[in-house]
Order: sequence, then structure tokens, then C-alpha cells
Amino acid sequence: MTEATDLAERAGDRDPRIGLRAVSALRRLLEQLEAVQVRSARNQGWSWQEIAAELGVSRQAVHKKYGRQ
Amino acid sequence: MFERFTKDARAVVLGAVEHAERMGAETVEEGHLLLSLLDREGSRGSFALASLGLDRQKESVKEALAEVRRRGGLSRADADALSGLGIDVAEIVSRVEETHGVGALGGDKKDKRWWSGHRTFTRGAKDTLEKSLRIAVGRRDRHIGDEHILLALTVLPGVAAEALADHGVTYETVTRVLYGGGEAKAG
Repeated sequence: MTEATDLAERAGDRDPRIGLRAVSALRRLLEQLEAVQVRSARNQGWSWQEIAAELGVSRQAVHKKYGRQ
Repeated sequence: MFERFTKDARAVVLGAVEHAERMGAETVEEGHLLLSLLDREGSRGSFALASLGLDRQKESVKEALAEVRRRGGLSRADADALSGLGIDVAEIVSRVEETHGVGALGGDKKDKRWWSGHRTFTRGAKDTLEKSLRIAVGRRDRHIGDEHILLALTVLPGVAAEALADHGVTYETVTRVLYGGGEAKAG
């Protein structure tokens, strides 16, 4: 019981705002990195199917996101 | 909300869309609002910026925004938070640029058609416009002018606020040149 309380207190020492901001920033960074890689793959002649397979998503999902030209 | 915008405030919003289009950006962000605000002349907002010496530092602000764009639109606070996770944003930017060219992460498109079509405002840009309304209401101003957009940009954490603060433009300094000293922060 005391151990659990200690753990909870220690976890509470960290300001959640910092961690949440990091997650949000990471998500945006991830989006940018994905766009760079998808664009690069398309420029090298990859099909949407091939890109989707590598990203682990459906062909429709990746085409809907990046397909409009 | 937009019917209460002054001609200058509308011009800032429309100018922001043009900046986004010209840069080939998919969305309209706070940075575009700030760039558009820097273009204004003879408005309340441009008066405030000139009073704070920013009319002579426009290029420096533009460079600061370009630098932010280069690291994928992440603010300094974002980069600091990521560094807390052991993620070095500068290192990632340099690796990506090594392979894909300078500005790749910022979405600098060689082919501008890549993101053609209708541009939506990001959450941050929408928040800025809503905040400008709230600031105007809080000051009992009947219209929303470009000075309220400027105040909103200084008060909402993000890339525009950081670029402005680095050049001495904060909520406090803007309210001082616009309305005189010693004002409390509006909601």
C-alpha cells in the first residue's frame, strides 16, 4: 500500500504537461516524416500498394491521405 | 464571428491564406497569420509592431519562422519537450535533409501541386482567431481588428508567440503601445 502510494507520488512529481506536449510534438514530427518518406517513395516510382504495405496501413488510407495531386 | 472583423483583420486572414498557398503549405497556420500581419500598413496592428521596432526587423522574424518550418513546424517548447524524451529534433532534421534535401521536413515541395486544393486552418490558427475575438470582447472593443489578432498571437503558446517574443513583442509590450501602460492580461 505504501509502496503503491510512493510510486503514485513519484509519478506525480513529473509535470504531465511536459510529457503530453512531447507526445503531441512527436505526433506532428511523425506526420512530417511520413510525408517526406511517402513523397520520396512516390518519386521513386513506388505504388500506393507498396507504400501502404511498408507503413502497415491500407492502400486506401495512404492514397486518401497523400493521393490528391 | 467574421462579420465583426475590420477590413484590416480580414486582410490579415486572406493574406495568411495567400502566404500558405505561395509556400505550398497544406494548411494555414499561425505563422502565416504573422507573416500576413507583417505585410499590413497603416493599420492598428502595424502601428503597434512599428512602435516596438518590428518594422525594421521583419526579415529577422521571417527567418525565425523559416527556421521553425525547417524543423517541421515544431516550436522551441516542442523541441525541448522532445529532448526530454531523448529525441534530438535538430539531429532528425539534419538526417532528413542529408537524404531528402534542405527544407524537406518543412514540406518545401519542388512540385507545388503536391498539396494543391482547399486549405484549411490548423487548430492553432483557428484558436488564434477565436482568441482575438475574446480579447476584443474582453476589452469591450466593438470590432475585431488586426491588433487583436496580434495580441492573440502573442498570448497563445506556439511558433508565432516565440518568434514575436524573441523580438520584444509580447502581450504586455503590445498593450502598452496600444492602450498605455499597466494593463492586466485579458482573458
